[in-house]
Amino acid sequence: MGTVHSAAIEPYRARLFVEDEIVKDAEITVGVNHRGVERIMEGLPVEKANSLTEKICGICSGVHLWNSVLVAEKGLEIEIPERASYIRIIVAELERIHSHLLYLAHGNEVLGHETFSMRLFYIRETVMELLRMIGGNRVQYGVPIIGGVRPRAELDEMKTQKIREGIDYIREKVKEFADRFTSDPMIMSRITGICPLSRKDALRLAVTGPTLRATGVEFDLRREMECYDPFEFDIITQDDGDVKSNLLVRVFEIFESVKIIRQALDNLPEGAVVDRSWEMQDTDITKSYVEAPRGTLYHSYALEDGRVRNVVIRTPSMANIGAMQHALIGHHITDAQLGIVQCDPCFTCTDRAIEIVKI
Amino acid sequence: MGIRSYARARAIHAMLVYTGGCNGCDIEIVNAVFSPKYDAEQYKIFLTWNPREADVLIVTGPVTKQNEKPLKEIYKAIPEPKLVIAAGACALMGGVYKNIHGDIPSEEIAGPVEKIIPVDAKVPGCAVRPEDVLSGVVSILPKLLEAK
Repeated sequence: MGTVHSAAIEPYRARLFVEDEIVKDAEITVGVNHRGVERIMEGLPVEKANSLTEKICGICSGVHLWNSVLVAEKGLEIEIPERASYIRIIVAELERIHSHLLYLAHGNEVLGHETFSMRLFYIRETVMELLRMIGGNRVQYGVPIIGGVRPRAELDEMKTQKIREGIDYIREKVKEFADRFTSDPMIMSRITGICPLSRKDALRLAVTGPTLRATGVEFDLRREMECYDPFEFDIITQDDGDVKSNLLVRVFEIFESVKIIRQALDNLPEGAVVDRSWEMQDTDITKSYVEAPRGTLYHSYALEDGRVRNVVIRTPSMANIGAMQHALIGHHITDAQLGIVQCDPCFTCTDRAIEIVKI
Repeated sequence: MGIRSYARARAIHAMLVYTGGCNGCDIEIVNAVFSPKYDAEQYKIFLTWNPREADVLIVTGPVTKQNEKPLKEIYKAIPEPKLVIAAGACALMGGVYKNIHGDIPSEEIAGPVEKIIPVDAKVPGCAVRPEDVLSGVVSILPKLLEAK
């Protein structure tokens, strides 16, 4: 079905082998929008390279920058002020909320329910305005820098108050949406039991993020990250791995993110937001993992004379492509689009360096 | 105003083509048309994915080499009169991906859009703001309506 077709929302190639309207095999190919960000980053000063990572993805731009900055901080052994760490988490969780809202809006559009989709886009505007207030831009806000956060992103009394009002509004509206959504018999019958992914297959295909949690595996990298230690939150899981579980995991994760932001605002420590007393030195290849809205995100590079070497980036959607292919098999062709969308694809992120060299 | 432009003024279809940017501009454009806050549909501008029914082509992204041919074909498929809007820093000059300041120019990028198809309006920004997209589309509408 189809070749590379730029009229799709994101260019990718989905080949479905169909027999009697049942999908027998599926193949998803990426590589059309390969831009070679790693290659451009190679040899740039580390600050410049970090700001480039933001342009990898327009949905989870903040978390890419955060992870890239974490690599440099790990390599140079920089301790960041606690206040900076809290502000980073607030931004990352706001980003998770807007990414999940976008996912839900897109999912509803595919389902054919445009009213829900528009309502969710409207709720999402609140988050975008909050991010614009914190970072100065709606999409690429660039909050973390090496040693803390940008002084521009310092939260004062007025801004914290606005974020509180914003997250209260989101919580209320998303709850209303969830009630309406789950009590709608038409929608529920359309999404229950469609394109399920079993827990065993999910683990075999190394699926990450909410798609993995929708199959019942309790894995969230935020539990293992040091900066999330002061916060109390639950890992959301669902059992079935079908479209319904995937949608509901994201809905409940929005509530958890709201919880984390509220805790961060209540206990926001005093002090400076950036520590500039570090010195540049050469480092070995350093690795860092964070939990992006779509799953585990990996960045690694080495530093040489303040310049970046051997950049490797692995995005969560790359791992989830396996889930997309596997979930479609044995189902009706009209469910195929839902099956791809349920895994929250972001093919822009995914087009990384394609060559794999075994050493 | 002839009968054709009279009819056209009531249903302007914009097609969004994504040529390898970072998704930021695309979501902002879809946002500009769809979301109730900006709501381009109040100006009778609708989003379509079919080049045959489009009047306005909105191009985002720096145009990767693999995307060059599809973009040309989509441009050919749109019926006359047609207008092209390049939205975002990447579409205007290749953005960060073209590596303008670097020593080695990127080999992956064929763009900017201007090199490949004629561009009527340019919307700057990284990522573009929905307000700018709206004003960009609205500013070239007279050109579309005056065309025979």
